[in-house]
Amino acid sequence: MNLYYMNMKSMLECEQKRSEKFLNFKLPHSFKKVGWIGFALAFIALLSTKFFEGDLEVLKTVLKKLSLVFLLIVVFSKEQVEDEMIQKIRAQSFSFALLGGVLYALVQPLINYLVFLVAKPEKAIVEDLGDFQILWFMLTVYLMFFYVNKKRS
Amino acid sequence: MKNTLKVERAINNLTQDELAKRIGVSRQTINSIEKNRYVPSTLLVLKLSEVFDKPVNEFFKLEETD
Repeated sequence: MNLYYMNMKSMLECEQKRSEKFLNFKLPHSFKKVGWIGFALAFIALLSTKFFEGDLEVLKTVLKKLSLVFLLIVVFSKEQVEDEMIQKIRAQSFSFALLGGVLYALVQPLINYLVFLVAKPEKAIVEDLGDFQILWFMLTVYLMFFYVNKKRS
Repeated sequence: MKNTLKVERAINNLTQDELAKRIGVSRQTINSIEKNRYVPSTLLVLKLSEVFDKPVNEFFKLEETD
């Protein structure tokens, strides 16, 4: 019986350690640069598609996804010294970004609708935001909040 | 919670940067603790107590509002 409990305990501990390891996973600090440079290139390329003619929808979609991936790399790479205060700021920024994202997804379509109602009533419809717009907003809010708080601390 | 980290640092003749390196955090974190903007974890406080060779409650004190 005792052995059974001990086994259970060590199994639980092992499980806990594994999930902690997974949750605490971060890319090395050098990835921050890779992320920012990649994001800048993808973003510039995305903007410059406006100046070219032709069917660029596929390219645009790829560039949009790429810029999200690079932003995600920036978010998940370590700071120079990744200590407990940084982790606290990270946690705060994540919750702020989640809140911001949900509110944005709920409120923005209504604002869009109201603006159209005033400007062009015939075009006014309540339309949900795309995934790119919401994810983009959440990542940006996270990064903004993170860097402002880090500087202020 | 108030602290006398700055005083202890002066007694031990340590800069913020040196102290930060000894306990494995950033200089910013030490600065935030000194300015009462960040409450450190038990782990970090125990490391500080080891560096200063003093019990924790000699340089961290509860305030009435805590």
